[in-house]
Amino acid sequence: MKKDPKDQLSNYEYQFIGKPVPRHDAWDKVFGRTKYADDFDMPGMLFGKVLRSSYPAAKILSIDTSGAEKMPGVAAVLTAKDVPNNETVTRFGQTHQVGGFEGLYRVLADKKVRFMGEAVALVAAETEEIAEEALARIKVEYEQLPGVFDPLEAMNPDAYQVGEGDSNIICNYQVRKGDVKEGFSRSHVVVENTYRVPFVEHAFLEPESGIAWIDDSEIITIRVSTQVIEHFRDVADVLGIPHNKVRVIAPMVGGGFGSKEDITVETFLALLTWKTGKPVKMTWTREGSIISSSKRHPYVMKYKTGATRDGKLMAMEAQLISDAGAHVYLSPWVLLYSTVDATGPYDIPNVKVDSYTVLTNNTFTSANRGFGAPQVCFAYESQMDELARRLSLSPLEIRKRNYLRKGDALATGRVLEYGVETEKTAIKALEALGEPSMPSSPTEKIGQGLASGMMSYGRMTFLHDTSRSYVGIELDGSVTVRCGVQDIGGGQASSLASIAAEILGVPMEEIKVFIGDTALTPIAGTTTATRMLYMSGNATLKAATEVKKSLLPKAAEMLEASPEDLVFRDKKVFVRGAPARAIPLADVVKACAADGVQLYNVAQFNAPFRELIDFKTGQGQVFPDFTFGSHAVEVAVDTETGKVRVLKLVACYDVGQAINPLSAEGQIEGGALYGLGYALTEEVILDKGITLTPSFSEYLVPTSVDAPHVKTIMLESRDGAGPFGAKGIGEPSCNSIAPAVANAVANAIGARILDLPLTPEKILRSLQKL
Amino acid sequence: MIEAEYVAPSNLGELFKSIEGRAERVKFVAGCTNVLPDLRAQNPAPMLLVDLTGIEELRRIEENNGVISIGSLATMTELAASEIIRTHGPILASAARALGNPLTRNRATIGGNIADASPAADTAPPLLALEATIHTEGASHAKREIPVEEFFIGPNQTVLNQGELITRITFPIPKDPSASSHIKFGLRNAMAISVVSVAVVLEMQGNLCHRARIALGSVAPKPIRAYLTEKELEGRKITEEVLESCAEVVKKEISPITDIRASAQYREHVTGVLLKRALWQAAREGENSTNGNI
Repeated sequence: MKKDPKDQLSNYEYQFIGKPVPRHDAWDKVFGRTKYADDFDMPGMLFGKVLRSSYPAAKILSIDTSGAEKMPGVAAVLTAKDVPNNETVTRFGQTHQVGGFEGLYRVLADKKVRFMGEAVALVAAETEEIAEEALARIKVEYEQLPGVFDPLEAMNPDAYQVGEGDSNIICNYQVRKGDVKEGFSRSHVVVENTYRVPFVEHAFLEPESGIAWIDDSEIITIRVSTQVIEHFRDVADVLGIPHNKVRVIAPMVGGGFGSKEDITVETFLALLTWKTGKPVKMTWTREGSIISSSKRHPYVMKYKTGATRDGKLMAMEAQLISDAGAHVYLSPWVLLYSTVDATGPYDIPNVKVDSYTVLTNNTFTSANRGFGAPQVCFAYESQMDELARRLSLSPLEIRKRNYLRKGDALATGRVLEYGVETEKTAIKALEALGEPSMPSSPTEKIGQGLASGMMSYGRMTFLHDTSRSYVGIELDGSVTVRCGVQDIGGGQASSLASIAAEILGVPMEEIKVFIGDTALTPIAGTTTATRMLYMSGNATLKAATEVKKSLLPKAAEMLEASPEDLVFRDKKVFVRGAPARAIPLADVVKACAADGVQLYNVAQFNAPFRELIDFKTGQGQVFPDFTFGSHAVEVAVDTETGKVRVLKLVACYDVGQAINPLSAEGQIEGGALYGLGYALTEEVILDKGITLTPSFSEYLVPTSVDAPHVKTIMLESRDGAGPFGAKGIGEPSCNSIAPAVANAVANAIGARILDLPLTPEKILRSLQKL
Repeated sequence: MIEAEYVAPSNLGELFKSIEGRAERVKFVAGCTNVLPDLRAQNPAPMLLVDLTGIEELRRIEENNGVISIGSLATMTELAASEIIRTHGPILASAARALGNPLTRNRATIGGNIADASPAADTAPPLLALEATIHTEGASHAKREIPVEEFFIGPNQTVLNQGELITRITFPIPKDPSASSHIKFGLRNAMAISVVSVAVVLEMQGNLCHRARIALGSVAPKPIRAYLTEKELEGRKITEEVLESCAEVVKKEISPITDIRASAQYREHVTGVLLKRALWQAAREGENSTNGNI
């Protein structure tokens, strides 16, 4: 089934693929010309605001909106009773419903509130100030309930029930391979630790925002910052109108990182515009966003890993418990990623994994760059270094003795059929890290750390993922691509232009990519799961290749050559080996048009379709493929204050084939810094459901002066499932950085910290200075 | 909703005229880096916003007869760049450079930083160590000169009356030979509220510390002077042993709290560490400036 990437193009060198070109949208962003969601106004528009719960757990006894309704300038005040279908059950997968783990959601809270950020009422008013004041005049009577805030406590059968079901445990998976008892008995060293990772905020620059209006054919149109335009169906279901009466448009998105995968403002906007008949805009404040939007899952991870004297892994047992917060959302799938990735990129003969995700009255958790992979990577890579230390092996050596290789099977039985270059990435990352620096003072300790990781790209195969793309060639030889991708800043649109340019031999600036519009672009699925290049890249490649094929016979006739000998390049068609024999591409197109040849193609790309795996043994295929790589880090630890400075940071990942190396490097650098915040400073702190870090003054994202130089090394195995052998890099790029930092700190101070982030205080405690 | 009347006087005469009889409703604004976020969060009563940014006389940084005078509208960027401050109050320039980010530093003023009276106010420890005086003017031109150690009362509380304006801040140029040092410790390298900050000014006599002024931020309800520690140091040579005893004494003078940034216990520990470093740095600086006579 795997194609030789060279077959996709005849044997000439790529002209655009793999060439560093500035993205077509870069200057617009630099000069502030890009119109993000909040930059778009309409005459007569209203401003929407959300009233959020005052308690993390409470019964709603009554809501009195009369004070707000009476205010001049208030156009609508909505509560649960005004929503046609307030209760929805979210299933998973846009095209294929797999059932299980269905979550009950209410657009607006009714009966019971489950967390502090829960929406209780909506207001639309002529100004933001009036809307804000109207919220203050809505009187909600609550009866406070005890709530539960610790997932381990919530697992208890007699714990407070967060939802309306009979258990807080949403789901449980198991992986069973071999016999771990036997494996541990044959191990010379067994390392056992419990790791904890915190809630994390996505911290995109652009908070949730959108504007909705009813167009002149009665279509509810929502222009919104989203990773998923296909939520148009969910919005239509809430309103009780046909799906084709709702249109969602995604402009350039100012960062998503997973939090714009779930619905944010869309339904609220649709309800308010539907009720008032007027355009309505809604943009959340940073504080509103941090309090009410999804977070990365905190995990408690018990790991037990055994190895022989030579460092060969014999057994691994893991128990993973994630805090789903107040609603199910994507927690079961995040947990499944963690469960499949729990062994890391290692071949282990005996494996036992038990994983749980549990409801609490904390802010809900859902997708966040890495989707469950970085949590377990922190645990398994910390374990590897602990084993190495006990066995007096180098961190690289123990890993080399255990890395999975192409053709090996994961603990879930899935055979890795594409490139696996983990070992090479680790060697190269360490080489680039070089010799340790000298400490700058007697109280400073220098440490180096390595971590490798694996993470899937492409959605889970039982979701039967598909994407579509339109490629058309105009009479002047310029090219139009229409594809329903959401561009969240990773160059999703630009990479499609590169692919079409390569196949049709048309310069990048003559390719126009239309994106993100459910009415005008073929549906391409979500910009999540590191799937966009893999899925829509392949669809675009397929469509462009079909267009080229339809032009070939006419071109061959015009050039009096055989179709196999033709080369499309520089908006011309050449005969291979005879560069003088060329005709303008536009002439071929015009001749084809005259003959009635179809000048466009809409292609669909289907990922491999599989069925649900066995959740009791974990056996089966969950993902199309994985991206492998390593991070190497050098830190200086101030042993008197506990402060960590990152001196060097090397990221080495196998990207398969960089479509645009500048974009791929941008992803790898961004991923490194994203992971660096996770390692050192970022934590959403909740006290009994109340967020204590609601702004960027308390929630500490690394600033430019905290960022070390990131050295990026891109390996190109050309052996991925994406176009031209590409693999996905968006999420995997942040995977192994936190454990690399933790390993470097442990190397520096001789003590291991099991909880992220590695704050100065934790470091001093581990040095027993506090 | 913020309801406010707005006036923008161009000199102090105009200012006091415009607020006459309405002093209790006055909110002075300049850089707005604290005021705007606070107002948005508080839903305040209607007020009179007095924009100070047009009053040129409040901007000057100058030296007169051994006294440095800083207009209350001087921004952090201006303080950090000022030759006068860098020469005669380098610890104040250092604190100004450590505040917020470039955008904030371009707007935030020294008057605002002091009037806001955060226990973590970045410019407070240097001003305390420099024994600065806060000059104010209130209704009917009543002027006061308040020593900075009497200026702060508690978190976000000062001795300022309603409608009383900080006009300038002065400090005497420290006597030669002197040395100073400033350390801000935050959880990241910019845009951080300090976990602990330390400023010291030492007057040296030969190799002895003749006089010490030590100030601390974020370890008490207000920025404080560490008088006991100063006594511990004065008249002694700066040795490892003396530094250790200072680090012990200072713990008795502070009353740190536990918050999301750090625990009280951590702050106590790090105060000792930073104090030792600041004193050591200052002593070494003194050593260099007096050609190794210490």
